[in-house]
Amino acid sequence: MINPVLLIAIPLLLAFVSILYKGYRNNLLVFGALVNAGLVLTLGKGEYLIGGFKPPFGINLVLDDYAFLGLLVINGLFLLITLMSLDKIGENATVLLVALAGLNGLLLTGDLFNLFVFLEITAITAYILSASSRQYQHSFNYLVLGTLGSGLYLFGLILLYAVFGSLNMADLSLKMATADTSQLVIPSLLIFIGLGVEVKILPFNGWVRGVYGNSDSLVGPLFSAVYAGAMLLVFGRIFAQVIPLGAYLKTLLLLLGALTLIAGELAALSKTRIREILLYSSIGQSGLIVTLFLSGLVFPAVMQLFNNILSKAVLFTVAGQMADTTGTDDAEALQGAFARHKLAGVAFTIAGLSLIGMPLFYGFVSKINLLFGVFSLDNYWLPGVILLGTVIEGTYLIRLLVKLWMPGEEGLVSHESHATKAPLEIQRARVMGIVVLSAVLLVGGLMPGMIQNNLSESGRLLDETTPVYLFDLKGGQ
Amino acid sequence: MTFDILIVLMFLGAVTAYLVSKADLKAGAYATVLFSLGALVLLLLGRGEIGSEFTILFMGFEVTTIGWYFSGVMVLVYAMTAFFNSYWMDKMIYPGSYNFLYLFSLGGTVGLFFAKDLITLFIFWEIVVWSSTFIVPMGKSRRAAVVYYTISTIGSMATLYGIMLLHRISGTLDIQGAFAPLKNDPVLATVIFFIFIMAGLTKIGIFPFHIWLPLAHGSAPHTFSPVLSGGLVKMGAFIAYMSVGILPAYEAFKGSLTVMGIPIQIYALMILGAVSIVLGTLMAIKQDDAKKLIAYSSVANGGYILIGILLMDQLAFAGSMMHLFNHAIASAAAFLAIAVVAHRTGTTKISELGGMIHRMPLTYLTYLIAIISLAGIPPMGGFVSKWLIIQGLADQGLMFMALAAFFGSIGSFLYVFRPLAAVFLGQLAPRHEELASAPLLMKIPMTILMVLILFFGVLPGWILGIIGQIQVAAGIEPVMMSGNSILAVNGVLNTLNVFMVFGFGFLIALVIFMLMQKSRRVGLMDTYTSAEFIYTPELYHYGSAFYAPFERLYARHPSVEDFLMALAYKGHEAGLMVNALFFSHKPGVTVFWITVIVAVVTLGGVGL
Repeated sequence: MINPVLLIAIPLLLAFVSILYKGYRNNLLVFGALVNAGLVLTLGKGEYLIGGFKPPFGINLVLDDYAFLGLLVINGLFLLITLMSLDKIGENATVLLVALAGLNGLLLTGDLFNLFVFLEITAITAYILSASSRQYQHSFNYLVLGTLGSGLYLFGLILLYAVFGSLNMADLSLKMATADTSQLVIPSLLIFIGLGVEVKILPFNGWVRGVYGNSDSLVGPLFSAVYAGAMLLVFGRIFAQVIPLGAYLKTLLLLLGALTLIAGELAALSKTRIREILLYSSIGQSGLIVTLFLSGLVFPAVMQLFNNILSKAVLFTVAGQMADTTGTDDAEALQGAFARHKLAGVAFTIAGLSLIGMPLFYGFVSKINLLFGVFSLDNYWLPGVILLGTVIEGTYLIRLLVKLWMPGEEGLVSHESHATKAPLEIQRARVMGIVVLSAVLLVGGLMPGMIQNNLSESGRLLDETTPVYLFDLKGGQ
Repeated sequence: MTFDILIVLMFLGAVTAYLVSKADLKAGAYATVLFSLGALVLLLLGRGEIGSEFTILFMGFEVTTIGWYFSGVMVLVYAMTAFFNSYWMDKMIYPGSYNFLYLFSLGGTVGLFFAKDLITLFIFWEIVVWSSTFIVPMGKSRRAAVVYYTISTIGSMATLYGIMLLHRISGTLDIQGAFAPLKNDPVLATVIFFIFIMAGLTKIGIFPFHIWLPLAHGSAPHTFSPVLSGGLVKMGAFIAYMSVGILPAYEAFKGSLTVMGIPIQIYALMILGAVSIVLGTLMAIKQDDAKKLIAYSSVANGGYILIGILLMDQLAFAGSMMHLFNHAIASAAAFLAIAVVAHRTGTTKISELGGMIHRMPLTYLTYLIAIISLAGIPPMGGFVSKWLIIQGLADQGLMFMALAAFFGSIGSFLYVFRPLAAVFLGQLAPRHEELASAPLLMKIPMTILMVLILFFGVLPGWILGIIGQIQVAAGIEPVMMSGNSILAVNGVLNTLNVFMVFGFGFLIALVIFMLMQKSRRVGLMDTYTSAEFIYTPELYHYGSAFYAPFERLYARHPSVEDFLMALAYKGHEAGLMVNALFFSHKPGVTVFWITVIVAVVTLGGVGL
């Protein structure tokens, strides 16, 4: 049995090595990413002790279905994005290796303080990466808010430790289950805000606009898919599986999540720059996923999360590439851009349609399941909010797709001669990468059972008791 | 076996057509003809298999009479329009994708009508929405596609909510079973009724969701407007049927308040249908663009279809079902005729055309017959179906609905006459002297549609037989026929006699026409101007400001379009406000919000 701590240790080791052998930095990064992605496939479920102290006294790594699925997708995406944008990495190979270690740590750890450490490690790498856009004010803004967020998280953690005397997640969740919820209000709120900064929940996410809005074809997909995915999974771990929320706080946080969804989508609707549209869409999706986690719908939330990050990886790669090569990502200036880049355009379209939740794509499977989930809670306002969000999201994404595909003035038949003259280039590696990602979304939508079956054959079926629509249940049942 | 092959074949055909288009564009367009004709043949062959069930991937299907009928209408429109595709290949920005999406959306519509469970229904519904959304902007307007998509999605998301709610209540997604528990719960039935029918209302283009029709139908590629107007709109009618027929709305609303004998919930939607008739008619009258004009006439005809379906009775329902078919082929024929004109002249503006009868007589005849049917004038199919609807309305004593229906019929004389007089009749513009007539491949579908319109106007027996089966399946009294006579409560319509009378009248007119002096052709520029030079000859075209005195009567009408656009702008503003409130480039703003949230929770949480 391979110890999952290797997923953290190997990239960290390679990061140190890469400082010594600067010439081989990129090779080491690719090697690390490859080894990690391969290692994930060989992992066995279970709890792993670090340092020999039994929990709750020592630190342990927990590899359950939830962590395994997260590791699989995050490591896979990390590898793919690295390979797609090798030419963009430059000085950042070491940072990326550290980031990989931190991200895996986030997903694996079973200890709240250990989580804080990994949170800080990944956040620091994120600050450095965000500076690659040379918009230092935005990076600084992110640094201030990120630090404030982790400070608040630590504060909440200390309060929990003071009350319950434990930092181990499993131990804490047992102790908190029987505790008076009023004791939990302030620490949970502080932890919520701390994670909320990274997860992009509405009033705490002021940094997102500057950082995502100036990201390139490496940082954009990395942040919107890998970082956002890992942070949301951490959020789900803590708020759906560890900290029980009292009715008062739960209602309030649910409202915040729903507000993030609608406000994010509305803000995206009013934007014309592609990266800004996508970043607000990411915020809206975060709101949706957070709402699902808070409602206790872990599996639908994870499905929606995967749909979101896979789509966003494609969308941000193309958007970043547009900005890198043409100097603008204004939809109007780039109209008809896909006329000369059809394959990239098809991948972008599939990702966009999957994000909206159109049938034939994975997004539909996740949307149907999350709706079933929300209805099964007898919650009737939330699906309304979610569907309203879908309408808004569809409107601006379709508007964007139509703009990028069909150039032409109103009243004139769309023709290639109206297409943008901007010198858009999309490297072959990037096209291949996004085609692979969109193919995953397509296969996941057409044959949702396939992924599930492969997972169950390898003994890693999700411990989910509720049947999953389009997986276990077919039409009419 | 026929129907699963049919559905799979359409999606495979879409891919085939795309690949063939890569090699040769025209061949790709011919592939769309072959596959859609193949679908028509398979449908006709498979009629004996009504009642069979099958599954594809995770989707369940069941072949019902009404599904068969609807998909027949749809496939016919697609197949006829497909003949036109090859002429637009060089004008389309993505011809290969067009062929792909054309067959893809066809597959979507067919699957939709055979869906056994609600999720399958929804899957195919959305497939049609997104595939057609990408065809519309290949035409003249990008905005049209967005408006079309948004309004469709408002409808389909509401319906999805209804589907989920139904599943929560009944525990099943099977179409028959899911609605069953609503029979005894009028409150819930009301909620589901209004939510579920939303997709139908938006698709038919019922007021206030009609604004996408003139935009999308008017500016879509000329080869797709017939499909949008003749075909896709009818998907909405299917949802409307499900909401009253399968939901058992009349049974569920037994105890509720009635207006003129109709439960108020249903009557409310009928009012919307009546508004659509009046509004569609009035707006069609003032259009200068022939495609927009037919689009508004589709709004009006959608109103007829909705009212008839909502009545769920012996006559109006049958009329509505038949009108669905008549409107599909007539509106497709009219759009195709306009497409021929556009293909030859490059414009669809009524005031820029004229005298097309001299250059393309068959196209003129197609248009004439199509609009006679649209206006509901005998001996065309449209007359039979409108007669049945008005009979049904009169029978139930629904005088306001009947008033709207009559208004729409009379108003339709006005709007169908405008393009007829100004596009096809009148003087030929000098620049159009050399136009060729329609190519052979365009003449084939136009002739077929013409014959069908006339045939089902004279001998509607076959189609009314199928509609009778649908009515029996829906548990209502079927429409009765005796020989060539349709038996209604207030009268009998013998369509053959009507045809004889009209044919006789036509013969007399023909004889007079032959005997009389030949008319002299007058050039467009042959105008009295008292030696003034004409700078703007278009203004002297009698098609410009055709109904000016009539239009002045309602020139300052209120418009729901303005309201909806204002609403969209409010959404835009809300987005800007979110941006201004929360996404400043100063971290202090975020810190402020964190403080507010902590304060609210702490203060609000006291005592909890």
